[in-house]
Amino acid sequence: MPHPEENAASVATTPATQPEQHRPPAVEAAGLTHVFGSDVYAVDDVGLLVEQGEVFGLVGPDGAGKSTLIRMLATVLAPTSGDAYVMGHSVRGEARRIKPLIGYMSQQFSLYPDLTVRENLQFFADLRGVRRSEVDARIARLLEFSDLTGFSDRQAQYLSGGMKQKLALSVTLLHEPQILFLDEPTTGVDPVSRREFWRIIATLHRQGITVFVATPYMDEAERCTTVAFMDSGAILFADSPAGLKRRVPDTLFEIESSDERAAQRAAGALPGVTNAALFGDLVRVLVSEDGPQEHELRRAVSSAGVHVRDVHAGRIDMEATFAYLAERARAEAVSAKPDPDEEPDPAVETGGDT
Amino acid sequence: MRAAFRRVEAIARKELIHIRRDPRMLITVLVMPVAQLLLFAYAISFDVSDVPTVLLDADMTAASREYLASYEQSDFFDVVGRVDSPAEIDDVFDRSEARIAVWVAPGFARALERGEDGKVSVLIDGSEPNSAQLGQTYALALNQQLDREIAVEWVRAKGQDPEAMGGIGANVRTWYNPERRSADFLVPGLMVVIIMIVTIQQTAVTLVKERDQGTFEQVVVSPIRRSELMVGKVLPWMAIAFVDIIAITLIAITLFGIPLRGDVFTLGVGALFFVLGCLSIGLMISARASSAEVANLTGLMVGFLPGFMLSGFAFPLNSIPRFLQVISYLFPGRYMVTITRSVFLKGASIDVLWPQVAALALYATVGLALATVLYARRAR
Repeated sequence: MPHPEENAASVATTPATQPEQHRPPAVEAAGLTHVFGSDVYAVDDVGLLVEQGEVFGLVGPDGAGKSTLIRMLATVLAPTSGDAYVMGHSVRGEARRIKPLIGYMSQQFSLYPDLTVRENLQFFADLRGVRRSEVDARIARLLEFSDLTGFSDRQAQYLSGGMKQKLALSVTLLHEPQILFLDEPTTGVDPVSRREFWRIIATLHRQGITVFVATPYMDEAERCTTVAFMDSGAILFADSPAGLKRRVPDTLFEIESSDERAAQRAAGALPGVTNAALFGDLVRVLVSEDGPQEHELRRAVSSAGVHVRDVHAGRIDMEATFAYLAERARAEAVSAKPDPDEEPDPAVETGGDT
Repeated sequence: MRAAFRRVEAIARKELIHIRRDPRMLITVLVMPVAQLLLFAYAISFDVSDVPTVLLDADMTAASREYLASYEQSDFFDVVGRVDSPAEIDDVFDRSEARIAVWVAPGFARALERGEDGKVSVLIDGSEPNSAQLGQTYALALNQQLDREIAVEWVRAKGQDPEAMGGIGANVRTWYNPERRSADFLVPGLMVVIIMIVTIQQTAVTLVKERDQGTFEQVVVSPIRRSELMVGKVLPWMAIAFVDIIAITLIAITLFGIPLRGDVFTLGVGALFFVLGCLSIGLMISARASSAEVANLTGLMVGFLPGFMLSGFAFPLNSIPRFLQVISYLFPGRYMVTITRSVFLKGASIDVLWPQVAALALYATVGLALATVLYARRAR
């Protein structure tokens, strides 16, 4: 049985050649739920709309349900209830039609450690039904693309973390999918390799491929066209990075002091301070409109016995945006239904907080 | 369809690479079976030999010395020493230095001289009931034989006709006697048990490993069907199992001198379905096991215990409890043991063995289907 990609002559440009008006959304989900056991709602009634060509970033703390959501969309895991349409096909009933259109990279390295780079690619090319006459050329191109040509005969287990991730990505690209589902592809990868990985994603984005990526890194969220924040199985908000930032009415101050932890405590205790988080040796304080001004912050921290070197206004970035929006969402959730034991702190994920 | 063949081929080729790159696995699947064959064939042999034995000569005559000397020449008895009193026999038994004591009572020579039976006691340490029983039977048989020899020599020395003495006919049952016979009985059955252990255990791990490695998810997002995955997983193990079977057969013929009297075709067809049946058991375990360790252990248990106990390899199936007999039908071993023994020893072929072959074919079909279903359900 032929697969669509067997007929596709062009390389990774398939989505762009389709007429604009009839394109189904890349992902459309409603009421999507997955329950582990009888009462663990890993994903709880999620609705989603991802247009084709987007780089859709899914951020949230560990255990938020990001992986479960992605696995359902990638047809690896069946939803308990609700449904999602990937390129117009239901994940419940039409998984076989979805598989040729998508690439999926799980959080865990999912290639054979004892197979070489080339053997892994060859194996998945066979599995994916890449036309035999094209396999060699395509593998060569992907090796080139991911800078792995020199390592093609090395067993996957002996690759560095960054190279492993690039190989895994190459495998997902073998059959020229229209959507990529990437589950924390750069977790545990060094910063240089992370940047390189995102350079590749940017290239794919330019080629018209939809990228759906879960990430714990806020700087990576900034590179997405749309960012959704997920917590406790639900998507709390989703918007473009700029749109999200605009939602923050607060002002950001950065305090340089002799004792950042004491300063964080002092500033955080002030009324009108939404969030005070450590950021290196700085304390970043989000202040609401009626909150303290620069000199009031300085005074409050000084009176706690901390020497304040400088207080200045900072730029609201994704990190600060999430700190604010997560705080607000949590406050709304608490006022709606008290939930004392679930206290995920998104700031922990950013690597900036205590 | 071509795409499906290609996917099956890709899985099979990949499995072979795994096996090739893993020296431990290679040893397990290719060296171990042969080692097991040699080990088991010698260790589980029903032939008893070199049983540590002490001698007590209370008669101290030429006749008693001659009699006891023949114990020292026997392969069955390993004379580790001589004792001077019955109390010492107790000691050596307690210290497990010997398991048999041969005690020639006073008056042995005189009794023989008078044409009566010489009084000899063979004491057996019964703390190991199994070998004790074997030992007892053996000792009795041997004693009779020796007795007769002595009697015969005695009579000859007296110039009488041995036949006129009536003699004591040595009636040693062939079961326990020549080493060759025992191997004939054991090796064809052993082959079945070994193949069962290797195939079940190895396939039990294979699917779990994919899950543990996370490779399973990558395979699942490809267009491969579960059945294709199963077939691809089974093929390389089929090949390996046949390499093992051929190796074991050659060793059986050359080293143990087992005759291959029946036709190879029947053996081959039987083995094909038998191996498929075993592989399906392994895949079922793999589909349900929660971890590689669990799969490995379960595989070993399921391969080993029914292989040994319920295949008729060691114990005749009509001598085991009724409900175990019923359970034995649920494992492919018993059918295959019948096939190998009949083909090797009795020269049987498919015209008599078709019920067993058919049972194995059915077993393989149902087993593989069941494994696929179980696997699919687990993955969902």
